[in-house]
Amino acid sequence: MSQARRYLLRNQDIPDIDRIEVYEANQGYQALRQAFNQYEPAALVEMVKASGLRGRGGAGFPTGVKWSFLPDDGRPRYLVVNSDEAEPGTFKDRELIEHNPHQLIEGMIISSYATRAREAYIYCRGEFRRGAEQLRRAVAEAYRHGYLGENILDSGFSLDIKIYRGAGAYICGEESALLESLEGERGNPRLKPPFPAVAGLYGMPTVVNNVETICNLPPLVLNGAEWYRTMGTEKSPGLKIMSVSGPVNRPGNYEIPLATRLRVLIDEYAGGMRDQRGIKAVIPGGSSVPVLTADQLDTPLDYESVLAAGSMLGSGGCIVIDERTCMVGVAARLLKFYREESCGKCTPCREGTYWMTDVLNRIEAGEGKPGDLELIADMADNIGGKVFCPLGDAALGVVVSAMKHFADEFEAHIKEHACPMGARLYYDTVNH
Amino acid sequence: MKPHWETWAEEAKAEFPRANSALLPLLHRIQAEEGYLSPQTLAEVAGLLDLAVPYVESVVSFYSLFYQRPTGRRVIHVCTGLSCALSGSDQLMHRLEAKLGIQQGQTTPDGEYTLLEAECLAACDKAPVAQVNLRYRESVDLEAAEELLKGEVES
Amino acid sequence: MIRLTIDDQQISVPEGTLVADAAAKLGIEIPVYCYHQALGPLGACRICLVQVEKMPKLVTACTTAVQEGMVVHTRGALVDKGRQGVLEFLLINHPLDCPVCDKGGECFLQDYAFSYGASAGRYDEPKIHKLKDAPINEFIILDQERCVLCQRCVRFMGEYVGEEQLMLEGRGVQTVVATVDHQPVVSPFAGNVIDLCPVGALLSRPYRYKARPWNLERVESVCPHCPVGCTTLATGRDGHVVRVEGRPEADRHWGWLCDRGRFGYDFAYLPDRLLAATVEGEERSAAEAQRTVGGWIAQAVASHGPESVAILVGGQHTVQEANQIARFAREVIGTERVAMVRSTRGYLPSALNGTFEDIERADTVVYLGGDPYESVPVVHLKLRDRYRQFPDLKVIGIGSWVLTRSTLPGQDVVVEPGQEVAVLAAALKIAAGEQEAVKVLTANLGDWRPSLTGVDPAAVEDRLRELGQSLLGSEHLVLLWDGKDAEMESVLHAIKTVREERSAVLPMFGPANWRGFEQAGIDPHFDRLDSVLDDCIAGRVTTLLVFGGDLLREYPDRRRAEEALAAVERVVQEGCFAPEGQEHYHAIVPGAGWGEVVGSYVNLEGRPQTAGAPATPPGQARPVRTYLLAWAHALKKNLVFEDEGRLPGMAAAARAAVAPVTRPGDLARGDDELVMVGNTEVMEGGLPSEYLASRVAEYPGRVSPQDALRLEIGQQGGRLVVEGSDDTIMVNAAPDPRVPGGRMVLPYGIQESPLNRIGEGATVKVYRREEVGAR
Ligand SMILES: Cc1cc2nc3c(=O)[nH]c(=O)nc-3n(C[C@H](O)[C@H](O)[C@H](O)COP(=O)(O)O)c2cc1C
Ligand code: SF4
Ligand code: FES
Repeated sequence: MSQARRYLLRNQDIPDIDRIEVYEANQGYQALRQAFNQYEPAALVEMVKASGLRGRGGAGFPTGVKWSFLPDDGRPRYLVVNSDEAEPGTFKDRELIEHNPHQLIEGMIISSYATRAREAYIYCRGEFRRGAEQLRRAVAEAYRHGYLGENILDSGFSLDIKIYRGAGAYICGEESALLESLEGERGNPRLKPPFPAVAGLYGMPTVVNNVETICNLPPLVLNGAEWYRTMGTEKSPGLKIMSVSGPVNRPGNYEIPLATRLRVLIDEYAGGMRDQRGIKAVIPGGSSVPVLTADQLDTPLDYESVLAAGSMLGSGGCIVIDERTCMVGVAARLLKFYREESCGKCTPCREGTYWMTDVLNRIEAGEGKPGDLELIADMADNIGGKVFCPLGDAALGVVVSAMKHFADEFEAHIKEHACPMGARLYYDTVNH
Repeated sequence: MKPHWETWAEEAKAEFPRANSALLPLLHRIQAEEGYLSPQTLAEVAGLLDLAVPYVESVVSFYSLFYQRPTGRRVIHVCTGLSCALSGSDQLMHRLEAKLGIQQGQTTPDGEYTLLEAECLAACDKAPVAQVNLRYRESVDLEAAEELLKGEVES
Repeated sequence: MIRLTIDDQQISVPEGTLVADAAAKLGIEIPVYCYHQALGPLGACRICLVQVEKMPKLVTACTTAVQEGMVVHTRGALVDKGRQGVLEFLLINHPLDCPVCDKGGECFLQDYAFSYGASAGRYDEPKIHKLKDAPINEFIILDQERCVLCQRCVRFMGEYVGEEQLMLEGRGVQTVVATVDHQPVVSPFAGNVIDLCPVGALLSRPYRYKARPWNLERVESVCPHCPVGCTTLATGRDGHVVRVEGRPEADRHWGWLCDRGRFGYDFAYLPDRLLAATVEGEERSAAEAQRTVGGWIAQAVASHGPESVAILVGGQHTVQEANQIARFAREVIGTERVAMVRSTRGYLPSALNGTFEDIERADTVVYLGGDPYESVPVVHLKLRDRYRQFPDLKVIGIGSWVLTRSTLPGQDVVVEPGQEVAVLAAALKIAAGEQEAVKVLTANLGDWRPSLTGVDPAAVEDRLRELGQSLLGSEHLVLLWDGKDAEMESVLHAIKTVREERSAVLPMFGPANWRGFEQAGIDPHFDRLDSVLDDCIAGRVTTLLVFGGDLLREYPDRRRAEEALAAVERVVQEGCFAPEGQEHYHAIVPGAGWGEVVGSYVNLEGRPQTAGAPATPPGQARPVRTYLLAWAHALKKNLVFEDEGRLPGMAAAARAAVAPVTRPGDLARGDDELVMVGNTEVMEGGLPSEYLASRVAEYPGRVSPQDALRLEIGQQGGRLVVEGSDDTIMVNAAPDPRVPGGRMVLPYGIQESPLNRIGEGATVKVYRREEVGAR
């Protein structure tokens, strides 16, 4: 299928759009002018609400509604853009900041205008060295061109954007841990309530939004809420970027109208499976969500449908797993990630991910024991819903669903004291 | 302590409403220059920002990109996330370990290379990936492993 | 009020109450590790899971606020399973060393594992190894493997005390509690983490392996080291106190202690504890000493009349003991020459005395003369508590050096030594000179203006006005007074008279139980002590009985005290340790001390508190009553002590209210001269302790950095010769930026450097020790 016109990933069509001149020549900062001219801040919030845009950071919370939670009490407000993208399988925000930073900046100015924030931060994952450089350069350009600073485009609105680099911690993608980190602390999540909208950065009302969420604003303002609703479903309207990885012919980021079918994403956008391999499972929304199986490929990729299928759309990190890959290996590998990234504050996540990883590694290595699977299931029960923040729950998504859908494979490991797939986690190297 | 750190500290402080926020930016800048953050450096940073030393130590120890031991001129991060593992990143890591004669987590005796494991680097479409001093190297198959070790690098 | 149901019981609690606290009010125990009311919710350990109807998941009781109509279940299959899971997780990396752990028997992990029956032995993987038995200072050992990462210790030190000396290091399962680079923790409040730690990760070094909790008795006690009178639990074994812990009191306080109180209990069995009596320099049996001294007293009364016998009371005696002594004086001997051993001259009438509730409500706190952190440490914590609740708390230090510190930031008015009273009076005059009380107070001041350190003379007036306004205009004023200058009483009266809102004073001076002695009928006024000494010097006293205390060490003018002792025919000392200047004493009898007799202490709030006796008096040491009864017998008098638990409840009469204060003289001090300033510090002087030896300052004297430079004692400090007008002492002193030039601050009661040989306020010449020979 030929890609329809792209809105969020225009960098894939327009070379050098990361340069402000190129961006401006392609309708860049037009949406900002239009926002200033056509909307009062409150009206802009209403428009975003009407569009039905939902947060693309993972939870899918309606963006306009989130903005409207800010208390109107005269305190300074902050906009914080979450660019800590570290969820295994997800790589869309990195492309957006590296290749089209002005789109994000324009979106941020519009969002700040709507929420009346005078200062905005981009929390950029520490590993994104180039991303941070691109953002720095683009922000400087935006200042030079009068899009940032005092009285932007004579609108009376002023905004400063600052870039803050993380330093290696997945948990800092969780919004309250992110704010802690931004305040120079260890990245431990905060107790909620109060929510950031009420007491966020420096205790002030704060909006935290994902990079992709904010990048939706320029096209949304230019084309209007109704246009946005022409795509997707009633509850999940609009566009979503899906990051596809695994043994497909064209791994990469794809902008799809929500409710596009998973099969279409894999076969048409990503070019189908490499070497015609069969699909065993798909993790549709980043490493935190349960797996879907080969018979669920017709699931429409919108928040409700994926949920109904037993998983979540999450951050849109779609990892395709082929039939020759060992699911115990997949589960063990993902769990190791959560063990490394658990902040360590709460007991079940800290100790549970540690223990469970050990047991899974053991099973994968052929040293599983009878009762191990029950033990893992019970551990999952002791972690799930009992942790301080969603990281601990997220650790369970793949493991629990894989054990459910591929019980035979897990049991075989234990019975045969070996991996029935021949201990194959990887299918080959890149040069095939 | 280097005299310009004071200037850096002032710059970092000026950027944020609260001095604590200046901590990570200042540490990044100093580490880029020093290669790592020694206990002495951390005490100095604490002094510059008027923070307690244990506070600074505690914060630093939380983040994997702050190095508390000396590192090589090239810090190589090999992504071991799922997508990269599916593309052979473990084999890549083993190859590098053999080539350099060190285990992951270690630095070569000549101070040239530090080999580290990274969690998903958000480049799964280019798996397996690595970073050299946080610059991406994509689709690093076993042959390309050699390339990782060569070429000029910025710190 | 919010109404809710917990385990079928109804309760109403204020909005914002946490479920854990509401349950506690009903006596329902919800297990907690990370939660502590003083530190607030954290939600880290997850052991406090409860079920709330209509909520999809279990919630943590320590982070969930009550809601109207909420229905909570604190037990049940779901809850128990949740807690069991958490416990199991906590145990996977926890060593199985309960049998050798000092916390065994009083460990939350053990207790809860027992109640929730954590499924044993499912964990087969290797445990993570961390640091074990690592001392974090002289008193505390850390075992990272036993730690459950509840963060209580880290939060207590950082957030509560404000001295960030413990930290979390690392992330995830590798997280540990640590100090920086193995540097010792030096805060005097660090010992509290032993009480706070719910498991055996932080343990007392002195108590280590001393006993197992289940074969010990802990009795309720009170700390005897300073007038705060913190409530404690004292554990005895084999007649000794082997441990002191804080004892919280519901709705009153958290049971914090300072390390002086927590670890300073070893005095009772130090080698120089008095175990036998000495008469005329010869060791005697207790019975013989009793007889001999009884004979002396009888003889004195017979030959020179009852008034020839005088009695001084000090030390750690209880209220009951003091009352027994008072009754002995009055009923057996018939002498009115009874006084208290004092170091400072001030007196605080009960009417002005405040309580800790005043601190809980204060908006302004003024330190008069001393820093509570040093003299009454746990008051500092109470102030921190208030500051945490009320960050606008105004703290003002008025003294001859900077009294405030970073943990409780405030402003200082640094005055010339000894001018606190006059400065306050001057401030009141500027702020409210028209008031009658202020007129009387300042009648002698005239146009006197102080010079204030670091304040331009032209700005002094404004500074004083500001101070006066803070004193008079604040909403709830708390003054903490060092008791040095007796004239302060007038100022305090004046402040109280002029103010419309409440003001309250808390006395920071000793003896620790002075209020108790007062209630027992011993006149606490310093001039009473002076008049007894006058009587001694004038030959009107032939026999002096000193109960506790150490006159030569404590009395501010050592020469005069020596003169008095020398003038008396027979001086008898009762106490736990031999007094200084033993040559002056004709008999010394060993007394029972704190922990060895049951009795009460009245603290600086005027609150009586009872201390039990987990220990027994060593050797021939006897309680005071034994001596008193024996001596009454020698005088053929009948003395009956009964109902000793009851407090006597007498108080000395209050004296005149506001009187004019003295106008300070001109300042005259050579460029190279210093003025001596005394200070009460709980770590210095007082009862000896080997455990605390390392905490006693090596350089207790403090001078300004400039003076230190001139005296060439370096950053570390050095030995100085301090030459007064008619005596010379050696002082180890170090620079302290809080001390302004031209003064030396020296704690009272340091044996090697007796300030009372030189005199507080004296102008002295100071040399480095090496220079002495050269001169
Ligand atoms: C463990 C964890 C990691 C997260 N990481 C990210 C992230 O990297 N980027 C992101 O935008 N949101 C992340 N989130 C979600 C954020 O907490 C937050 O919901 C989001 O930034 C809100 O933006 P949105 O409303 O635009 O989606 C994470 C959440 C959790 C619990
Ligand atoms: S679930 Fe607990 S330990 Fe895990 S990241 Fe969240 S707070 Fe930290
Ligand atoms: S006591 Fe509630 S989570 Fe620790």
